[in-house]
Amino acid sequence: MSPERAAANIPQDWLAEFEAAARRPLALRMKYSFIRTYKPVLDDASYRSFDTMEDYRRWCRENLPSWLGYGRV
Amino acid sequence: MAAFEYRQALEIRDAFRRQGVRYLFIGKSGAILLGYPDTTQDADLYLAKGPANGEAIVAALRELGFSLTGEQAAEIVRGKDFVQLKNGPFDLDLVFAPDGIEHFEDAYKRRVEVDGFPVCHIDDIIASKQASGRAKDRESLPRLKAFRDYWMLHNRQ
Repeated sequence: MSPERAAANIPQDWLAEFEAAARRPLALRMKYSFIRTYKPVLDDASYRSFDTMEDYRRWCRENLPSWLGYGRV
Repeated sequence: MAAFEYRQALEIRDAFRRQGVRYLFIGKSGAILLGYPDTTQDADLYLAKGPANGEAIVAALRELGFSLTGEQAAEIVRGKDFVQLKNGPFDLDLVFAPDGIEHFEDAYKRRVEVDGFPVCHIDDIIASKQASGRAKDRESLPRLKAFRDYWMLHNRQ
């Protein structure tokens, strides 16, 4: 599909949001985009590391509340 | 801790450049750099695996103010797939093997530069989110794919 045809299928409200964002300088886009919210468990350690992504996914599944959305579907 | 700021992104860019770190912004923070309007909490970096890059990463992180112990620094140099840092001036996720992307060098060739920030191509960001299979990514994918169509039309890359 051509880029023009693909873009023609974008819902109008999303398109309006994309165009509004494109008019903002990067610094302002970032100001609007990065927020700080506490995420239980995830934010309770200052450092974590995992040998494999599978280890990380397993840790998320076993330790994080499901409503955070880190579990696989 | 306050939200991640543009100034801090500049600090990452400059420190990583000074130390010669090979990296890309990925995930939603990468998409935001490309122009995607959405919210996120921290910055996700995709980094080339290997001792030389690992040493450069550790040096850059310490320069930025992250408090890495000797063991943590050694882990980063030895190579992990995923490291989550909340011991510095801002939160940072270091991803060395993102789902859905085979090789760093391939992603690096496809990268997009935004104000000097090296960013994964939108197709790689989508591939990574698709492959992760996480509920929160699945929910956000339709809008991200729509942004991809918008971005491709206006950037032709």
